Amino acid sequence: MASTTTTKRVNLYEWFKTITFYEILVGMKATLSHLLNYRPVTLQYPHEKRTLPDNYRGMLALLRYDDGTEKCVGCDLCEAACPSRVIRVVSAEVPGEPTKRYSKEYYMDMTRCLFCGMCVDACPVDALGMTREFEWAVYDKRQLHLNKEQLLAIGDRSFPVREKRLELQHPNVAFFNVAFKHVPPKPD
Amino acid sequence: MTEFGLRLAISLTQIAAVMGIVVITVLILTLAERKVLGWMQDRMGPMEVGPYGILQPFADAIKLFFKEDIIPAGANKFLFTMAPILCLIPAFIGFAVIPWGPNQTFEVGGVTVRPFVISDINIGILYILAFASLGAYGIILGGWASNSKYSLLGGLRSAAQIISYELNVGLSIVGVLIMAGSLSLVKITDAQEGWFWDWFLFKMPAPQIFAFVVYVISSVAETNRVPFDLPEAESELVAGFFTEYSGLRFAFFFLAEYANMVLVSCVAAAMFLGGWNAPYPGTFMGLIGLPSLAWVENTMWFAVKTYSLLFLFFWLRATLPRLRYDQLMRFGWKVMLPIALGNIVVTSLAVFFYNR
Repeated sequence: MASTTTTKRVNLYEWFKTITFYEILVGMKATLSHLLNYRPVTLQYPHEKRTLPDNYRGMLALLRYDDGTEKCVGCDLCEAACPSRVIRVVSAEVPGEPTKRYSKEYYMDMTRCLFCGMCVDACPVDALGMTREFEWAVYDKRQLHLNKEQLLAIGDRSFPVREKRLELQHPNVAFFNVAFKHVPPKPD
Repeated sequence: MTEFGLRLAISLTQIAAVMGIVVITVLILTLAERKVLGWMQDRMGPMEVGPYGILQPFADAIKLFFKEDIIPAGANKFLFTMAPILCLIPAFIGFAVIPWGPNQTFEVGGVTVRPFVISDINIGILYILAFASLGAYGIILGGWASNSKYSLLGGLRSAAQIISYELNVGLSIVGVLIMAGSLSLVKITDAQEGWFWDWFLFKMPAPQIFAFVVYVISSVAETNRVPFDLPEAESELVAGFFTEYSGLRFAFFFLAEYANMVLVSCVAAAMFLGGWNAPYPGTFMGLIGLPSLAWVENTMWFAVKTYSLLFLFFWLRATLPRLRYDQLMRFGWKVMLPIALGNIVVTSLAVFFYNR
């Protein structure tokens, strides 16, 4: 016990440290100091939650403009960008407006989503957003197959502040997917 | 017949009181251990049941009561049922000879009652040691009867460990017995009256400091606590000898482990730390003119000593990692045993020459 690795000679100091349990006492002092300076690092999770960062990648949601119209133009780019094939978009023309498209159906299978955020990056009109919701544990996996209404509802409750319509945001913005007869006058 | 009936009634009352105290202590310990361990590791421990989690033991007890009692396929049903009981009884039976308070008597209907010890038998400590060794049977049989390799390994380890360290416990207290000249815990405690340097831990001519260290380490090992928790090493053997147990049977093992902790702490307090004696002569209650309430102070001192030792158990658990099996055995046989034997020799010589 007392002999060191390099020398066979019994080091008196080491021997004394061994018989007084010096090393163990040092460890016990450390634990006792934590007991006396009790500063817990845990959060009582369901009662108190940590502040999430602004760029937190949580539940996905579909967004609306401030007039309540959907942002999504049905371009399928999110579907193409998604590495886990979460998203399925059925695109269609807006009835009566042949130049304008929208997503007739929009499905997300959140059981597969890995929250990479590539669909949000891919979206040309910022129609997708990542909320700070993360408590999506369900008893039935099928509840995680979300349709368009559900995704819009998530967006409505998580993003109360909505953007203006694209063509109204800035006089020089390049606009598309707008029926020409409905182009509003540019603001001054 | 009436005297016998009275004696029986008094004894049963005492037994019920002691059992109640021990069970309440165990309830407190289960919470205190998790709390202290949590605080030492910058956690909070149980916080949900009741304010600051103080009702957690009751929640645990209710859960264990209503859990399904599973007997694994291929288990020896008789031994599987007997093992927890065999484990629990020796853990509780030792409390019969522990003196909780001053050695005083009073008369009830012609019967002499010792209120603070159930029975002052003249081989008290021997009786505790004998039953503590018997507790190993419960563990071994529980491990064997479960028909599971983890349980069996846990039981085997436990057998080897308890036998090795039981020896050191027995030898480390021989010094105290030599100095007290008695095996009765009441007489041993009475012999430590006075200042705290009259406790056998510090008492001249032969302070039992080494014996105390050996006793504490060996009793930690004997109760299968960290850092000697090889029989129930959760990272190696799922839970050791009670892997297959559930419900009330598991609760019995759990209760037995904690009752054993309380028992060894009580014995250490009574043998080395002066038992119910205060660290100063007499009592404050006696000084302020309430000698009839001196027993409150004395029992409080006993509780303080016992709980300090129990805190030491938690403290060690929070600090130390588990020993390897060969380290455990080498430590027991090559370090603890020679120290205990040397202590006996030194104490005998010191007492012999001191008394001449």
